[in-house]
Amino acid sequence: MVADTIHSLLDSYRTQLSSYDEILNADGSIKPHWEKLFQSLEKIGNLELKNRLQEIKNKIRENGVTYNVYEDPKGMNSPWKLDPIPFLIQKSEWESISKGLQQRAILLDLIFRDMYGERKLVKDGILPAELVFENTGFFRPCQDVKLPTEHQLVMYAADMARGPDGRMWVLDNRTQAPSGSGYALENRQIISKVMPELAERQYVSRLSPFFTHIQQAIFRVFREKTDQLNVVYLTAGPNNETYFEQAYLASYLGFTLVQGNDLTVKNGYVWVKSIEGLQRVDIIIRRVDDEWCDPLELRGGSKLGVAGLLQVIRNGNVMVINPPGSSILENTALNSFLPSVSRYFLKEELLLPSVATWWCGQTKERQYVLENLHRLIIKKANRKQVFRSVYGRQLTFDQLQELRTQILQHPSEYVAQEEISFSTTPAFVNDRIEPRYAAIRAFLTATPAGYQVMQGGLTRSSPVKDKFTFSNQYGGIAKDTWIVSDETEIIPDRIRLPRQLFQKSQTSLPSRSAENLFWAARYGERTMAATTFLIITLNSLNLQRNFGTTTKTEHIEILLKTVSRLIRIEPGFSNENAESYKHPFAIITDSIANEAKRGTIASTIDSFLKAMIVVRERWNQVTWRTIDVIENIAQKLKQIQPKQNPNDIQNTLNTLQYSLFTFYGIVSESLPRNNGFLLFETGKLIERILSKIVIMRSIFSARTERFIEHELIEATLMNHFALVNYRSAYKSNYEMEYMLDMVLLDKQVPSSLAYLLQTLEQTIAQLPHASERLNDAQKAVLRASTQIQLIDVAELSTVSGDAMPYEKLDQLLAEVYGLILSVSDFTANLYFNHTATQHSITETIMDLENEL
Amino acid sequence: MNYKLVHQTQYTYTGNVNNYHGIACLMPKISPRQNCTNFALQITPMPDEISQRTDYFGNTLHHFSIHQPHTQLTVLATSMIETRSSIITDLFMTNREVKEQLRTNHALKTQLLEYMIPSSFVQWDEEIRNFGADCFSENQSFYQSARQLCHKIYTEFKYVSGFTTIHTPLKTVLKERKGVCQDFSHLAIACFRSLGFAARYISGYLETQPPPGKTKLQGSDATHAWVSVYAPGVGWCDFDPTNDLVPQEKHITTAWGRDFGDVSPLRGIVFSTGKQTFKVGVDVIPV
Repeated sequence: MVADTIHSLLDSYRTQLSSYDEILNADGSIKPHWEKLFQSLEKIGNLELKNRLQEIKNKIRENGVTYNVYEDPKGMNSPWKLDPIPFLIQKSEWESISKGLQQRAILLDLIFRDMYGERKLVKDGILPAELVFENTGFFRPCQDVKLPTEHQLVMYAADMARGPDGRMWVLDNRTQAPSGSGYALENRQIISKVMPELAERQYVSRLSPFFTHIQQAIFRVFREKTDQLNVVYLTAGPNNETYFEQAYLASYLGFTLVQGNDLTVKNGYVWVKSIEGLQRVDIIIRRVDDEWCDPLELRGGSKLGVAGLLQVIRNGNVMVINPPGSSILENTALNSFLPSVSRYFLKEELLLPSVATWWCGQTKERQYVLENLHRLIIKKANRKQVFRSVYGRQLTFDQLQELRTQILQHPSEYVAQEEISFSTTPAFVNDRIEPRYAAIRAFLTATPAGYQVMQGGLTRSSPVKDKFTFSNQYGGIAKDTWIVSDETEIIPDRIRLPRQLFQKSQTSLPSRSAENLFWAARYGERTMAATTFLIITLNSLNLQRNFGTTTKTEHIEILLKTVSRLIRIEPGFSNENAESYKHPFAIITDSIANEAKRGTIASTIDSFLKAMIVVRERWNQVTWRTIDVIENIAQKLKQIQPKQNPNDIQNTLNTLQYSLFTFYGIVSESLPRNNGFLLFETGKLIERILSKIVIMRSIFSARTERFIEHELIEATLMNHFALVNYRSAYKSNYEMEYMLDMVLLDKQVPSSLAYLLQTLEQTIAQLPHASERLNDAQKAVLRASTQIQLIDVAELSTVSGDAMPYEKLDQLLAEVYGLILSVSDFTANLYFNHTATQHSITETIMDLENEL
Repeated sequence: MNYKLVHQTQYTYTGNVNNYHGIACLMPKISPRQNCTNFALQITPMPDEISQRTDYFGNTLHHFSIHQPHTQLTVLATSMIETRSSIITDLFMTNREVKEQLRTNHALKTQLLEYMIPSSFVQWDEEIRNFGADCFSENQSFYQSARQLCHKIYTEFKYVSGFTTIHTPLKTVLKERKGVCQDFSHLAIACFRSLGFAARYISGYLETQPPPGKTKLQGSDATHAWVSVYAPGVGWCDFDPTNDLVPQEKHITTAWGRDFGDVSPLRGIVFSTGKQTFKVGVDVIPV
């Protein structure tokens, strides 16, 4: 039995092969490392592989690994797709591929420098002049923007696939801000956890040295200038397709994640606007494309870059990796000229071939392309998101004609490539192992000792059988990429860096991150407050329904009215809308589930999640797991119907409350006590004080019978999580005076105003201060705290006016509410640099007063 | 001729501007036809930083930043200019010969290609090409053809200020037959390039004469724009389609590029909440 199944997976895979495959040698035998892998897969078995795939999906969701698909309303934060079966390359082969990649990097770097420099390649007829001057990636202001290093192309990535001759062919270059290395790292982490037995009897090269040692070696050049290197990771923001990766890498490498408006140019340097003030930046690793980097000299309307950045680079006061201008190399047309460039510069033949490419910017080539359109693949020369490769053979006569017209309108924007069949590789899809086309992205970085290659890469396989498309935009599935050998890895010439580089570099809290932390806390607590109070209200409602009398329901009405004070939507519960009390579930459901109305629980959770994602690099994995749970509950909440069993609604709210408590627990147990934490706490405390006050003021705003008042006192105590404490002190003797004493003054109760105000006071005091004196925020809290501590509970609990029974209490709470609200504004003014809108202005020559 | 040149630009903002990064392209060229001395750039409020740089096209730029809050920005450029008249007259090379040279001479093509292809403000279609085509019969002298094109624009178009902005497409200018010097220059460049010639955009100034019997008013001159085309064997030759003449001593050159986008006199990024208005005054005073 065992013998029968030992090769079943491999055998059934082999029967499916229609073209040549990664697992096979030229003679049809199985490559040994693939054989080992299949033996391991066999042991796991097909059924278990299905479970593992599910586990991978869970991990991806928990870790929040996402990829944003453009032009798809549901495309934001699409989960990353990962195959349980890795892509294998033997170390010896990888070494020879690496040589070819290094040669390419050297060549591209030389081309980069030449195109912005002497332009010898054009003058000597190696490259057509069009490739420089008609290249949409050629930015004239970048011609004197140089790094203080030999190599200008620091980070480089290449997409490859195995061609019909068994060699790796290069398909595409990434030279501006190569993406994918972070996903490669995350893929490895997930696969090593979920598929631990897969690597049995093989040695897989590690990825981390590439990030921790090699990539940072380039910093050394700059380090001599400064003791403490401040490195920032410039992202285009949460809407960018690879935002997850950017946040992930920033967090992994310990760099501050910033957006363009977190940075400013002043006195010849770049600075982070942090809550501690301006902090100088030495190195920017950018994930913003060239033309968006500097609105002053490049694209005028860009809000993703930093005005004046190019001039700072020119002056040598900041290092931007890769330097702006490198998009000139992201032109597929270059492929066809590389062999001659290689002979010209290096007197060497190109080691890795490229796919045959014709660039329509040249007359002869354009002619060829137009005549052979039906059997070529047409692409835009410069990498663009909007243009998908077109397969000539799939077009109708009219479509071909249309494409010809398009090409003739802007010939230099198009290239055509030969359609080649590449190798397939095993992929676990449709619950079995199938052959799929795949491409590998390899990553290189310049070091003072030359270009180094990551021992791994990002492999993506086609989501559809027999199709060679693997872009994540179109559903490509990632694979962990293993460089395998039979011997343990000896890291040969590990680059040694001075110790200093490993010391913690200074990290800043950009004002924008600070603001998002603050608002994440406020929205989180707003959700918590609404959830907690709704649970209390639903409890009373159910009790009344099932066991109550029909006469005494006034407290229910008051609680419902309070719900609408807290969740201010229209229609809400009010005395004018008395009908609403009779059938409360319509409004209750609306208050919970309607994400389209601002202030509902569903919409508040959405705001909370959005703020969390913007600062995702600051949270640990445990936090993300909880956030994932909260996200799922949010989905469930949005489905709630008025006719649903009230118990269900209550259960969902209970899980939400419970998860929020878990989240708070993680924050308080694991978050470092830095300024980010303090601002989070500040936001949470402000929101908590405000919501407690809203509820209290609403509950005690009408005169009620004693029985009803007891119910309300109990609800208030529950809202402050103080009922048990109250009962142990006063039994079931519900007195306004005792209750107020507990929820206002008792510092043993963590939800009492006295306790909350004291904590807020202490938290704010620890935030950075410009002077020794109290600032406005501190003064307001002190005032509020003093007000509360000076009260006379007996006086407050005496019934006075008819319309407003506890007038003094209401006045006091109103005052404290106003003060704490002002704390929020003061905090924002102090720490969140609300950047004024950026305008681009140009003096036009046209001028009404000066007619010629 | 000798001139004192004064170019003042004043921005007024409704809200406070806390941060300003700007680039001025205001320093006149020094060339065989023109000398520039005593150039001074006076910016109020005083910039925190200012530096000079030569750009891709060889124009002189001044980068400056202001970090103090301000509601008004004044940039005043002054210089003394000496101009000489152009010695170039008819060149006798035919259109066919010029095009042939530009097509076959590799060194020339490499040097001129970016002035022969479309650029941001110079895009053309068949209609624009046809507009220029009848001025350029194959065997006519290139110089005469260029003059003829300028004459055609001058006679068929009306100078109307305020009708166009820098973003008005040339198609519209051609259809409406009106615009200002920058539109006419862009149109002429489009015609040249569409027919296979190399042409660039010149920004500068022109001394103007007051109406007969009136004294010249202060600030009444203006920045001006015209075109330059490349004639193999001779070099760049200037033509002014707005005034139908060959620039001589009264034209002062500041900068050149593919089109207006490369030579905008003042570019800036401001951080403010409000809107802004601006005023320009230019004086070209003979001395």
